[in-house]
Amino acid sequence: MARVTFRNVWKKYGDFAAVKDLNIDCPDGTFLSILGPSGCGKSSTMRMVAGLEHISAGDILFDDKRINDLAPKDRDVAMVFENYALYPHKSVFENMANPLKLRGQDTGRIKDRVTQAAQLLEIGHLLERRPQELSGGQKQRVAIGRAIVREPKLFLFDEPIAHLDAKLRAHMRGEIKHMQRTLGTTMVYVTHDQLEAMSMADQIAVMHEGELQQLGSPREVYNKPVNAWVAGFVGEPAMNFLTCELSREADRLSLSHPNFSLALKPDQAGCLNGTTGTVRMGVRPDALAISMTRPAEPVITGEVFVTELLGGDMIVEVQLADARIRVKTAPEFAGSPGEACYLSVNRDKWHAFDTGTGRAYF
Amino acid sequence: MASRDVVQYETPLTRGFRWFSGVFIALYLVWTLLPILVMFVSSFKDLLEAFKIPAVGDWSGVGVFFDFTPTLKHYRDLFVNLDFSRYMANSLVAAGGSAVISVILGSMAAYSLSRIDFRGKSDLFFWIISTRMAPVVAVMVPLYAIFRSLDLVGTLPGLILAYTTFNLPFAIWILKGFFDNVPYAIEEAQMVDGATRFQAFVAILPLVAPGIGAFIVLCILFAWNDFLFAAIIGSGGAKTLPVATRELVQPQNIQWGSIMAAGVVTTLPMMLLGLVIRRYLVTGLTMGAVKE
Ligand SMILES: Nc1ncnc2c1ncn2[C@@H]1O[C@H](COP(=O)(O)OP(=O)(O)OP(=O)(O)O)[C@@H](O)[C@H]1O
Ligand SMILES: [Mg+2]
Repeated sequence: MARVTFRNVWKKYGDFAAVKDLNIDCPDGTFLSILGPSGCGKSSTMRMVAGLEHISAGDILFDDKRINDLAPKDRDVAMVFENYALYPHKSVFENMANPLKLRGQDTGRIKDRVTQAAQLLEIGHLLERRPQELSGGQKQRVAIGRAIVREPKLFLFDEPIAHLDAKLRAHMRGEIKHMQRTLGTTMVYVTHDQLEAMSMADQIAVMHEGELQQLGSPREVYNKPVNAWVAGFVGEPAMNFLTCELSREADRLSLSHPNFSLALKPDQAGCLNGTTGTVRMGVRPDALAISMTRPAEPVITGEVFVTELLGGDMIVEVQLADARIRVKTAPEFAGSPGEACYLSVNRDKWHAFDTGTGRAYF
Repeated sequence: MASRDVVQYETPLTRGFRWFSGVFIALYLVWTLLPILVMFVSSFKDLLEAFKIPAVGDWSGVGVFFDFTPTLKHYRDLFVNLDFSRYMANSLVAAGGSAVISVILGSMAAYSLSRIDFRGKSDLFFWIISTRMAPVVAVMVPLYAIFRSLDLVGTLPGLILAYTTFNLPFAIWILKGFFDNVPYAIEEAQMVDGATRFQAFVAILPLVAPGIGAFIVLCILFAWNDFLFAAIIGSGGAKTLPVATRELVQPQNIQWGSIMAAGVVTTLPMMLLGLVIRRYLVTGLTMGAVKE
């Protein structure tokens, strides 16, 4: 168990900075997820923690101990590699037993631990096979198995379940989370899948182009994104953005758009004090309600563009003057394309971002 | 991974080609195996019988070749009177010793060249192979002078050193290619699992086993069959089989029987080596362990 701290960490490959001035404090026992699109520096961060990549600048600490110059074997971490990195000449059993063997455990214990892990991962019947005789998902589970046979200070999982089918992935999400809770081991979990991060992590670090955008609980990241980029990346279906004019009538600040003019709540107006011109309004599909009849309150008027039924939900795409926005509603929704519709906004759950920098006002 | 079964379609062309290649291979086998057969058979013949040859065009007389009373007297002569067991031991030690030393040093050097980037790496790499560009004869005289001043002439260590200077660059070149094909991720995983850098290196050696096997064969073949080094650097104290065989040719008396037996004694171990090492020469072990 360890607390992990990144202090002004940089990773440079030649002139290219893959990780820029990273500061994260991850308390002991936390499930930290590093979330970001492909190429944002997630794996680089992970590999610096494991000791496989030189730290260009800054420090990484385990429990206040600087580990920059420790060899990987002395860091006591267990890692699941993005590319599996199994030992091709060894059987699945030997692959999973390797960390225990290198630490001089006796054979009886090794056998117990490996069998136990294999059972958890449902690969007990594959122990005699070699990696080239496994499917991608099976290899990935062997790689997870190799990491969990030990009780390290820190788990490092680099997209460990990206190659499993949807059902198994959901199952493994639960298993990994449960395992981490039971063992209480600190976990750094890299993923580009925001659903995975949201559903498993205690803390999410959202990264974009090497920079940490936001560090917070899944709830914070979802409800209070610090900028438009995070707001757009987290959440499925993605947040809708509309460029609006700020207008002031009789001391009430409103967002106006060809399709609507909606007043801000007083505290929200406070956040926008001194701002003039345009802002980007952001609202998630589930903060909008759609109806075919005009409600009493102020609404956005538009016209149904297309409807998609997703099992228990329906996503309706609505055509506005200059954009399309998506709304989540119940599957009973009966509008058909071309019909006029009315959207009401839950004004506790909308956001405004700076048009230039993307910084969130609220 | 795609199956390795080759899809074949039968056309007159492929049929003709198959027929042609059958004939070609048969002729080729006769061409290469006949001398070995003659050597093998003659080594068991008395000298008089060995020189019995049917008249030209007399095909029915071929039986003469196989009509003899087998005798082991040439072999007895080699090992009892001529001290060939010592020469054989010299050959083994010289070939084996240089192979072992070259493999150990070569694999470590090749690993470093494959894994670590340092200034002047490509120049160093080129320099290593450039040491093999001069023909052996050209370096013989200076090498002899150096070895003599170090008192290495006529000793087994001297001979091993001489073979190693020639085998090592070769080992580095062959093995670097094999190390390059082993994904670095495998060592990274080993190191995270708790291995030192050196343990990680040792752990991937099974993956370059085909390369090491191939190299050992080439290295031993080179040393075992070498005549020039053995005659000049090893002369006297470290006489090897080829040199000893050469000495059976004397101006007044060419001892054909013993020469044939010596030929058999020299060839057989290499054939056995080939058979033993064959299964290590199978490549393709690394496939499928790392996502490409
Ligand atoms: N060895 C390297 N040399 C040069 N550039 C590199 C190297 N490794 C990674 N990069 C660059 O650094 C950036 C971050 O890479 P990294 O592997 O950390 O991304 P990632 O977030 O893990 O992406 P993915 O989700 O695709 O795995 C990328 O732009 C990549 O091209
Ligand atoms: Mg990655």
